[in-house]
Amino acid sequence: MSYTVEERGIPNSLSYRLFFKNAEGSYISPFHDIPMFADETKNIFHMVVEVPRWTNAKMEIATKDPLNPIKQDVKKDKLRYVANVFPHKGYIWNYGAIPQTWEDPGHTDEETGCCGDNDPIDVCEIGTRVCSRGEVLKVKVLGTLALIDEGETDWKIIAINIEDPEVDKFNNIDDVRRLKPEYLEATVDWFRRYKVPDGKPENQFAFNAECKDKDFALDIIKSTHTYWKNLVLQSGKPKLNCTNTCVKESPFFCSKDAAHSLVNETSPCGVADPLPAEVEKWHFLKKN
Amino acid sequence: MQRSGFISRATLLLSLSCSRRVTSAQTRSLQLRKMASYTTEKRGRQNTTDYRIYFNDTIKMTIHGSREGKVAPSIEPYGSENPEGKYISPFHDIPLFAGIEQESGVPTKRVKKNENETVFNMVVEVPRWTNAKMEISTKEPLNPIKQDIKKGRLRYISNVFPYKGYIWNYGALPQTWEDPNHKDSDTDCCGDNDPIDVCDIGSKVCLPGEVIQVKVLGILPLIDERETDWKIIAINTEDQDAENINSIEDIRRLKPGYLEATLSWFKNYKVPDGKPQNQFAHNGEFKDKEYAVDIIKSTHAYWKALVLKKANSGSINCKNVSVCNSPFQCSEEEASLIVHSSKEYEEADSISEEVNKWFFLPK
Repeated sequence: MSYTVEERGIPNSLSYRLFFKNAEGSYISPFHDIPMFADETKNIFHMVVEVPRWTNAKMEIATKDPLNPIKQDVKKDKLRYVANVFPHKGYIWNYGAIPQTWEDPGHTDEETGCCGDNDPIDVCEIGTRVCSRGEVLKVKVLGTLALIDEGETDWKIIAINIEDPEVDKFNNIDDVRRLKPEYLEATVDWFRRYKVPDGKPENQFAFNAECKDKDFALDIIKSTHTYWKNLVLQSGKPKLNCTNTCVKESPFFCSKDAAHSLVNETSPCGVADPLPAEVEKWHFLKKN
Repeated sequence: MQRSGFISRATLLLSLSCSRRVTSAQTRSLQLRKMASYTTEKRGRQNTTDYRIYFNDTIKMTIHGSREGKVAPSIEPYGSENPEGKYISPFHDIPLFAGIEQESGVPTKRVKKNENETVFNMVVEVPRWTNAKMEISTKEPLNPIKQDIKKGRLRYISNVFPYKGYIWNYGALPQTWEDPNHKDSDTDCCGDNDPIDVCDIGSKVCLPGEVIQVKVLGILPLIDERETDWKIIAINTEDQDAENINSIEDIRRLKPGYLEATLSWFKNYKVPDGKPQNQFAHNGEFKDKEYAVDIIKSTHAYWKALVLKKANSGSINCKNVSVCNSPFQCSEEEASLIVHSSKEYEEADSISEEVNKWFFLPK
């Protein structure tokens, strides 16, 4: 299965949208229409890249918009850019989501004691290539971190692109510890502090910030997949937009033509706006 | 031909005491400055071996009152200058000291924000967080910036975890030279045959070829592949924190971890290329501002000897358009010919994905 993207609006502005198309060129939802599994027998998952490594724009699958395009997050009416917290520059992995998963806010997680964050499950892809926004990768899951971000459960799956030249050496979380020393520590540090320059407190973790292994991660992913199924198959009005073009049993299924019209309501892609100067700032937090 | 989209400034104080329109009292109170601007001209295709950034000394015809840059109506500049500017060497023709008050071309007084400050011009070669190893080309006439080549290939600095590219804006102080014929008493090594290097720790990410004014804070005594290779630590005077950062201790306090990271970066940056870790003199200790300014002054003296043909220049190209008494001085026309004989500007080539590789060195 191959996917392509179509940019609409002006990058680095409120109008920017990244819509997804399948191999036939029909518009799809990256949240609902891309299968979670790329290969179920080998536990290979799809991952939708939202933020390329070393960039700052907080791009996300828009869970409340029809067809769930990727768009830039907005906070207090301003486009959101993640701060550079020394020694890091932007995000330190390709960051994104596993499609057809959902962290249900109606469910309190046993491990974290917190409710889900109402989004697909997040992935940090640790391979060497810097991927593009909207790219759909096939990834091997290696483990997971249990972040509690502003009081909500926010699992961070650690995974690697199956096309990475070293993929065969990575099969579990210990391989990451051995072959990329300090990367997991840096990952914990990144998530702990990334909102501090915005005036938020440090984040917390479950399990003493220990990275759990592959089997644990697979269980978590599978449960978020179940929550997602309930979401798209439920009757009644969900709080998220479940418009999709592939889940035929879903009451939110929509036709290709209807999807096409939706996209055409947005303006065509233009030249990117420049990044604001503050994005360059390197924040030096006091050592604890 | 393509002129760069930005203009960088070096401030020259112009005495207008001989002007008929302005009294000397008015001159001092308004802090009138004649702004000299440097523009860059890109030639060839970026990310290829043909790429060059040449420098042009474009004189602006406006007078700025105060540092806030209020622009008063233009008046005729003192003396006759070519309004088009002239091509210059960033190595030899950009003054080392920024903000020198001149009267008939003779430096009379330094401009200071406070008594202890000396402000230098810095030529930015590599923007923070990028990888292309751009350098002032010491061997080519007019010393344009170009990308370094090793073993026939364009050189890109490796990303050594946790860092991405360079962790400061990196460049050189003009009119300085680490003389390879001279063995440094601190490092016990000879100079690396280049202008002295600077790490600008300011927040703004600058562009290659940008000329900024920096305040010197200290110096790191690197020995890179057995050559003396001092690294000046400085901050862009326009940085919002510049007033609060005046010493190595201030960096430790306001940017904790940055100096340690700098040491680690220079120690390890060539390891992915198969080279050993680098060494330092003085146990890798950062020396203070006074020490740094002394080193800068001695490399400035070596440079003076170079351009006055009192030192062995080896393969260094000393061609310049403005150094009085230099036997290497050339005409504006010749400078222009040099630039225009280089390849026409073309859109950038793409960079190989390999440049993004992140190297994790064993603990």
